[in-house]
Amino acid sequence: MELQNTVFSILAVSAIIIVLILLVNRSLRKFDPLSEPKGLVLLMIMLIRFVEGMLKDETNEKITEELGPYIGVTMIYIFLSNISGLLSIEPPTANFSVTLSLAAITCILIEVYSWKYRGFKGYLKSYFEPIAVLFPINLISKVSTLASLSLRLFGNIVSGSILMMVIYAMLASVSGLIPVIGNFNFLGVIVAPALHFYFDLFAGLMQTYIFITLSITFIGKELPD
Amino acid sequence: MEKGLIAIAAALSVMTGMVTGIGEARVAQQAVESIGKNPDAADQIRSMAIIGAAISETCAIYGLLIAFLIIFVLGA
Repeated sequence: MELQNTVFSILAVSAIIIVLILLVNRSLRKFDPLSEPKGLVLLMIMLIRFVEGMLKDETNEKITEELGPYIGVTMIYIFLSNISGLLSIEPPTANFSVTLSLAAITCILIEVYSWKYRGFKGYLKSYFEPIAVLFPINLISKVSTLASLSLRLFGNIVSGSILMMVIYAMLASVSGLIPVIGNFNFLGVIVAPALHFYFDLFAGLMQTYIFITLSITFIGKELPD
Repeated sequence: MEKGLIAIAAALSVMTGMVTGIGEARVAQQAVESIGKNPDAADQIRSMAIIGAAISETCAIYGLLIAFLIIFVLGA
């Protein structure tokens, strides 16, 4: 069996996250709670506040405590995956298996919380709401959540990386027209950074935010008011 | 001949983006209008606008995906 390129980038991103966690752990151990936070500690406090604020707006205190770590780590993972195109490795989120499994986790969480807060009877009943005839449509809407969550992330990242590939090829052939210095793709050096900023950094950050917000919103929708 | 037809098919499926562009612009327009009317609710309006734009973008992304499938599966 042949290994895909993405396997190595998944391992690279995971390694970066592990190193990051060890660094944060070390600086948190050294951190004096009475002093003013700065550097890595301040960054982590801001991230945790952000995730907790988002979860508290949509769900309750208990779920914030349960889901906070998962949402936070998923956010870091998706963001690092999306911007890993800057290191010219294939982004893990440009592989449909990765985004499908991330979306599948969200869908399982939605079902689990629906079951937990409505009870078994209420959970079964939620498939036949508002009237029993709509059962097939409710079933389709469950599947479409999975499809839209995974395809949105995958489509955005993969279209960005394919467009960058096409633009690099085009710039290389244009700069090849110039005689002596044409072999070096100097147009790419001038034009590509701005596009990298948009396709990798901006789209990556945006899609991370959207994935997390939609996950939290879908889970919060299952709770009683 | 066949390659040209595949290219035309891919271009047609990407045309879902035309209407999606208008839809997303409407989301942004309404968000700006309501922030103008009610500046205190700017935070809530911003997150709602992003979610709305993301959901309406799904349609264009399905079209893009089908274009990729046409190019890489049929055209390979």
